[in-house]
Amino acid sequence: MIGRFRKVLGSLRLQFYHRASEHLNPYFTFTDYRKIWGIGIFLLAVTALLPLMVVTIIYYQLIQKSVDSELILRTERVASNARRAVTFFLEERLNALRFTVNEIDYDQLTNPNHLAELLRNLKLGFGGLTDLSVISHSGIQIAYAGPFKLEGKNYSKQAWFIEWQKYNFYVSDIFRGYRDLPHIIIAVKSFRPDGTHFILRATLETERLIQTLSSYETGEHADIFLTNRSGTIQTPSKYYGDIFEKMALPVPDFSSRTETIMAIDDQRLSIITGYAFISTQIADTPFILMVIKQKAKMIGVWLELRSKINWFVGFAIMIIIIVVAITCTYMVNKLYLADKAKAEAMAAMEQSCQLASIGQLAAGVAHEINNPLALINETAGYVKDLFVIKKQYSKDDELLENIDYILEAVERCGTITGQLLGFARKFDVKIQRVNLNEVISDVLVFHNKEAEYRNVSVVVDISKDVPEIDTDRGKLQQVLLNLVNNAFQAVDDGCNLAINAALEGRDKVSITISDNGCGMPEENLSKIFEPFFTTKERGQGTGLGLTITYGLVKKLNGNISVISKEMEGTTFIITLPIRMHEELSKNENSFGR
Amino acid sequence: MKQYNLLIVDDEQRFADMLARRLNLRGCNCDVCYRGREAVKILKKKKIHLVLLDLHLPDIYGTEVLTRIRKYDERTPVIIVTGHGTEKDRRECMRQGAYAFMHKPVGIDELMTILAEIGEMSA
Repeated sequence: MIGRFRKVLGSLRLQFYHRASEHLNPYFTFTDYRKIWGIGIFLLAVTALLPLMVVTIIYYQLIQKSVDSELILRTERVASNARRAVTFFLEERLNALRFTVNEIDYDQLTNPNHLAELLRNLKLGFGGLTDLSVISHSGIQIAYAGPFKLEGKNYSKQAWFIEWQKYNFYVSDIFRGYRDLPHIIIAVKSFRPDGTHFILRATLETERLIQTLSSYETGEHADIFLTNRSGTIQTPSKYYGDIFEKMALPVPDFSSRTETIMAIDDQRLSIITGYAFISTQIADTPFILMVIKQKAKMIGVWLELRSKINWFVGFAIMIIIIVVAITCTYMVNKLYLADKAKAEAMAAMEQSCQLASIGQLAAGVAHEINNPLALINETAGYVKDLFVIKKQYSKDDELLENIDYILEAVERCGTITGQLLGFARKFDVKIQRVNLNEVISDVLVFHNKEAEYRNVSVVVDISKDVPEIDTDRGKLQQVLLNLVNNAFQAVDDGCNLAINAALEGRDKVSITISDNGCGMPEENLSKIFEPFFTTKERGQGTGLGLTITYGLVKKLNGNISVISKEMEGTTFIITLPIRMHEELSKNENSFGR
Repeated sequence: MKQYNLLIVDDEQRFADMLARRLNLRGCNCDVCYRGREAVKILKKKKIHLVLLDLHLPDIYGTEVLTRIRKYDERTPVIIVTGHGTEKDRRECMRQGAYAFMHKPVGIDELMTILAEIGEMSA
């Protein structure tokens, strides 16, 4: 379980982030895997996230519009109802006054007792009236019923009285006046038979009006109040100023209907304002009804829902990005590993082809050299024969010695051309069942004496699960002999040599030959299988031993690799199939032809 | 030592002559020819104990020479001595009963050893 988890985690590691090896670079199909990975993540993320974002935005806008229109509707309804109530309040009292002046004659109205009786009845019938007075056309208060003593007061010079003269019905602003209490004055003008007129004036308390307005306040974030047309607040407001102060909002444009607008207030809060210019059927009034609702507070539920949706969308985006990143990493890793495997195969193939072509060239050269070499050999041999067999020249030792040099050189050339041809030639592979232990023992027989003499310890360890393998015994023996020879040449006296064999997967065995000798510099590792590459002194090695070994291992359908570190030692690893098939070997074996 | 009649067939005239001289010095009686057809003619006329045959001859290829020899003479040992021999040639020659397949340059002592072997076999 843990192993599988580690494997999954391993497959998500950015394996492509660092290139495996410089020498494989030319064989990679794609050069920049980091860029592919980045573009992949970007495109997949955009493809996956764009619809989600678009749908979310559209959803938000639809909900926003729906919520806005609902809020506007509700505000408009409240404003409309409150407007009717305020209009009715004023209209009802104006009508009562009109009825009074039409029904009761001037003399009765100017009778203080009768006027007091009338006030009492009006208070009973409608309520909200403070006093009642009759003012002559010249501005003199002729009769008064109420809590103050205002009889005989002259209003002729006062501005409001002059203003009143223009209208038959009048509704004042809310003001404090002499009594220092907020009140409204409503007045009705009536004409007497002699052509003069008088005014029946009533003072209304504002409490009833304020109570009426308050009853329309739904929720604590709604603010309903009256303002006059110059923007002075007429009834208490929660948020936009005290009574008789200038309203903190602009005065809305005139409209005969109830209107609702969305706006931003002085606190930078989004508000919905419903307003109506109050006008009765009898007279116009100075009042504007304001219904103001703070949007953020009104849509609290929706905002809470939106916050949840935002969290959900954020979580979904995070999951999508993680899945996209994992998918991309997995796919690019797979692509990279496939590309890397291909690059390795191509590099190996190129090396193999290179060796094959070098082999062909070497074979050609060897063939061509052999004939003149044979002539030199026979000619020099004949000259030597003359010395050795025919005794007349035998005294010239120096000449004989030089001829021996020629023959020795020819023999060496013959060895080289022979090895070149051996490297290039296509041998039949004779497959037989081989016991690795026996083969290794046979090879080591050649070195027993040397190992004893030089005190080199040779340890052979064949794992018990290594089966007998089907391969060409002779070639395997030659391969092992070459490698053991090399190892003996590389180690100093008293050093160690280890030969191990183990099962590699189900169908392969690996044979490892390691020594703790002088090792090789890293730059030589890639060349050691090339023909004529040798680190030995001139004349000591032909540089073909490992090339032949390489060719032989390939003929056995195997692989050979080397690990080496200077002054630490060298390890050759040969991997061979357990069951080698002859036909396969012949088909694959194109080496040297 | 018994005197052996050898036939050296090689288009490299100087090589063939030199080898003949060396073998003659060692008690052999060598005939030399440079063409395949000529070799076949000599073999028909004369008792030859061993043939040293090159493969790359100007008129017919060495394997063909061997085929023609084997048509009427199955016993005379033939050693192929070539500078260009391929594995295919080697197999073909061995199939047709060549005694050995050798690459140039050939050591004279090696040749003498083979000659001694043949002598023992025919004795």
